Amino acid sequence: MLTAFARAFRTPDLRKKLLFTLFIILVFRLGSVFPTPNVNVKVLKDTADAAKESNQLYGLVDLFSGGALLKLSIFALGIMPYITASIILQLLTVVIPRLEALKKEGQSGTTKITQYTRYLTVGLAILQATGIVAMASTGQLFQGVSGGDEVLYEKGLFPIIVMVITMVAGTTVIMWLGELVTDRGVGNGMSILIFTQVVAVFPAQFWSIYKTKNGFVFALVILVGLAIMAGVVFVEQAQRRIPVQYAKRMVGRRMYGGTSTYIPLKVNQAGIIPIIFASSLLYLPVLATQLWPNTKWLQKVQPYLQQDNAWHMGIYFVLIIFFTYFYVAITFNPTEVADNMKKYGGFIPGIRPGRPTAEYLDYVLTRITTPGALYLGLVSLVPMVAFALLKATQEFPFGGASILIVVGVGLDTVKQIESQLQQRNYEGFLR
Amino acid sequence: MGLRDRFRRLVQKPGTVDLAPFQAVVADAGTREDRVRELTDDELTAGAFVDDLAEFCAIGREAARRTLGERPYDVQLVGMLALLSGHVAEMATGEGKTLAGALAAAGYALRGERVHVMSVNDYLARRDAEWMGPLYRMLGVSTGWVGQASTPDERRAAYAADVTYAPVSEIGFDLLRDRLVTDPADAVLPEPAVALIDEADSVLVDEAMVPLVLAGATELAEADPRYADLVRRLRPGLHHAVDTEARNVTLTAAGTREVERALGVDLYAAENLAVLTAVNVALHAEVLLHRDVDYIVRDGAVKLISESRGRVALLQRWPDGLQAAVEAKEALAASPSGEILDSVTVQELIGRYPARCGMTGTAMAVSGQLTEFYGLEIAVIPPNEPCVRRDDPDLLYATSADKEVAIVEEIAAAHATGRPVLIGTADVAESERLARRLARAGLDRVVLNAKNDAEEAAIIAEAGAPGAITVSTQMAGRGTDIRLGGGPPGSVPGTAPASAGASARDRVAAAGGLLVIGTGRYHSSRLDDQLRGRAGRQGDPGGSVFFTSLQDDLVTRFAPDETYKGPTEPDGRIDDKGARWIVGHAQRVAEGVDLELHRNTWRYNHLIGLQRRELLVERTAVLQGDHADRMMAEDAPDRHAALVEAAGADAVADAARQILLYHLDRCWADHLAFLADLREGIHLRSLGRGLDPLVEFNREAVPAGKRLLPDARARAVTAFRALTASASGIDLDAAELKRPSATWTYLVHDNPFGSLDERALKGLISMFGRRH
Repeated sequence: MLTAFARAFRTPDLRKKLLFTLFIILVFRLGSVFPTPNVNVKVLKDTADAAKESNQLYGLVDLFSGGALLKLSIFALGIMPYITASIILQLLTVVIPRLEALKKEGQSGTTKITQYTRYLTVGLAILQATGIVAMASTGQLFQGVSGGDEVLYEKGLFPIIVMVITMVAGTTVIMWLGELVTDRGVGNGMSILIFTQVVAVFPAQFWSIYKTKNGFVFALVILVGLAIMAGVVFVEQAQRRIPVQYAKRMVGRRMYGGTSTYIPLKVNQAGIIPIIFASSLLYLPVLATQLWPNTKWLQKVQPYLQQDNAWHMGIYFVLIIFFTYFYVAITFNPTEVADNMKKYGGFIPGIRPGRPTAEYLDYVLTRITTPGALYLGLVSLVPMVAFALLKATQEFPFGGASILIVVGVGLDTVKQIESQLQQRNYEGFLR
Repeated sequence: MGLRDRFRRLVQKPGTVDLAPFQAVVADAGTREDRVRELTDDELTAGAFVDDLAEFCAIGREAARRTLGERPYDVQLVGMLALLSGHVAEMATGEGKTLAGALAAAGYALRGERVHVMSVNDYLARRDAEWMGPLYRMLGVSTGWVGQASTPDERRAAYAADVTYAPVSEIGFDLLRDRLVTDPADAVLPEPAVALIDEADSVLVDEAMVPLVLAGATELAEADPRYADLVRRLRPGLHHAVDTEARNVTLTAAGTREVERALGVDLYAAENLAVLTAVNVALHAEVLLHRDVDYIVRDGAVKLISESRGRVALLQRWPDGLQAAVEAKEALAASPSGEILDSVTVQELIGRYPARCGMTGTAMAVSGQLTEFYGLEIAVIPPNEPCVRRDDPDLLYATSADKEVAIVEEIAAAHATGRPVLIGTADVAESERLARRLARAGLDRVVLNAKNDAEEAAIIAEAGAPGAITVSTQMAGRGTDIRLGGGPPGSVPGTAPASAGASARDRVAAAGGLLVIGTGRYHSSRLDDQLRGRAGRQGDPGGSVFFTSLQDDLVTRFAPDETYKGPTEPDGRIDDKGARWIVGHAQRVAEGVDLELHRNTWRYNHLIGLQRRELLVERTAVLQGDHADRMMAEDAPDRHAALVEAAGADAVADAARQILLYHLDRCWADHLAFLADLREGIHLRSLGRGLDPLVEFNREAVPAGKRLLPDARARAVTAFRALTASASGIDLDAAELKRPSATWTYLVHDNPFGSLDERALKGLISMFGRRH
């Protein structure tokens, strides 16, 4: 793989793309640490550190904003508004017939939908920026931490508006950066930026483990972490191939036919979504205890909601398994796949097209999802177990959603580079 | 240029090429006109240089005036300058694109470069080459033209000229054939220099949708008539079902049982793949390919009709056994079937030319594609006379029957006032149906379609005569110039001055000029605009109107989910915004599908092109040198020495060359077949999360391509070892070098299998959504 990278850097236009992507990442990181006007940086840093010590939630926020949010930087909102907007529009495309029709019109329609996504991103950014700046000015952002209401120098209307405009502008710039990467760099811009956000906090977390524990624990964490990562890469790549034959062209059948036409079913066909569903669902009661701290029965439930509680872990695990099956069921419709194959003259040898094919696909899919679901559950438990074992104050970097994001985007990007190489390989070969 | 235009150019909006420098040159040329007019013909020929553009403009204008009797307008010269600087010039119909293009071609030729003027069909290539011939002669430039029926010698002579007119497909097929020659002297194409593309949007976009494919006959494979009989007995609906887009037909469960009962086999067992394929292909030929729509039967043979041109495509066939199945269906004798030997995309073909430019009436609609795939910018040339054509909004009807009645009424009404009418229909069958209706209504009409394309020039010449009614297919939709009042008999089709028809012209103009009627929107708005452009040339009066219905093929195929439930008028007309939107939507969907097809052709053929180039380097070395001989001496030294002793060094070198060439071509054809197989089911890969079909395709294609040269070498050496020699020479028969006895081209455009896996892929992606 290293040779592949070296070769990529030797190919002129590919090198240009890679350097461009790295440059965009650099700009993105710079903007993430560059504070918005009117922020008292010193006070903010102390309060944020104290808040992260006292409440796990702030660590999580830090993780998913690349540390930008708690720094109230110009890129505080990160890529999230853009991702949210595109998810919302994707859902709306299913619901609103006019949007669906637009999508069918191909590129010209998609361009319009992209334009709507951008507008929606700006709208969402205005909402979020207003909320965050308002919370920062009233001190709600860091509840219960001393100095939480002193992070801004001035709390007048004008400085607040300037801050909001700055953050919204920052978000639009991020959106643009993402699109630039997609157009002129390597990989999907949105994924690359999310990857950057997640990875950005890793060094700080390692450092804190090193500081609070000894060197041996640190080395052990790194080793175990790398082992987990290797395991995740392995399972993410694993697939079951169902052979398919096409019977619409009369050609002299050749020996190699059949081996290259197949339906690849991944062991982890669901990706990261089940973890996000499960953790969001479990987060609801946590939110409730914070909103209504005085309610009797919520107080009783509270201990079970701690990350290191065995009940919490168990429920989390079961939820992930459930959502994995659920998600695979809604995204992979065996009937539709079977119909599609039938339409273009394809069939699985020995199995009739139509319903028998759909049933067969369903059978294989159900069986392969079992190890996939167990794997997702185990990986997502890693940070919690580590938390319990190490008594760490920060999020454990090797596990859960973050490692799946990192490995997923990493694999995708490497594949993209490899594919770009394959597209050019021959020119290099000729010279 | 206004501030707004400057800004548009700054942000690289298409069509913002600055014309001011060109206009300045043309103004300069205007001041030299009187002086140039005094020159003798010889002085004019001698003075034709391109170093001074203004002087060249003046001389070109004078040469055109003397030879063609036509003085190019300033805008034509501006268009020519845009062409000379490598742009696509958008010029409205009737503005004299042909003349501007000819002057530009002469300009390039005078710079010492060989120009290929590419057009969409034989008719235009030949017409333009002959019509512009005198002009070229006066400027001291030689010309030639190539058509589908040209012989290799004619082609070689034509390509040797300074300027060669040829359909783009012929140039592509010549390239493909040149790549397969076994003797360097057999090649016909010279080194590419300048490509000047007429009807650029059609050539670069419509024709570029699918690769040009060269096939060779290896054996006579006959489709079993049993299958044709079998599928004929099946009942539509019960035994087989056609999808909404009318592009695919499948056996139902009942149909499968019926076929299995008749044949006595299990259709879906892996070992019966050949039987199932034969049934599927026969079914496709029976149900989806219609006589007089997709093909005509002439002289006992099936002739394909090109959808985008509306013409018979000589030497084109359906691939993969479909041709034989159609022949079995029509109970005709089977023609040889073969395999794909090589293919080339239009992008690749045009990309070979260091200098490219083009002209068309409808470039802006495809500006994105021209830039994306060819790096061409558009210069919008203003018309000489403002266009006064009246484009009426579409008349929308609920049913096809209502629409057809209304069309006949409209034609009758226009005819009564003495207006000439040109009707553009979708296919041969529709043109004939409409002609019969008109005959029943007592209207005298002329039909122009693929069946009588020989009379094209004469029909077009009279289409503008008072009261003429011309029913045509796509054929008349592009490139033809219809003069009001009709042309003088025997004149060159095109734009010779029509002095005899002057009074007729005035009569027609007074009646409102040519009326163009479209019997339905085409699958791209550009084709609509081209048809409209037949009227209103050079500021003439004229009008155009399209009749559409919600039962049109376009609507039912591309917008099957949209329904209209509003009111209709007693005559079936619908005047409703929503209903109009459906028709427009269907057309936009069709355009989107085509764009996707074009892009996928490009993406999937890019790697194949690179692999081909690598192989060609090797092949050229073998063809022109002693590469093969040295290779054999190296890999099979004893055999080589023995053969040299028996037959002489030259004979051995020649045998080695022939053997290696054969196996290189053989390996390449096998490789293409493998890639075609791979491509067919590659969309299924998108079912695995995070798998991109194109990446998966390349992942398999690259290693396969890497094996090509070693494989060919190994096979050639094996064959070489088996050679026997006598004093009279080497017996090559033992090596079984079966060269294809005939070559032809596949019309893959209408290949429903090739294009639809892409649509399936799109469907799957939208079905599963994008995931991050």
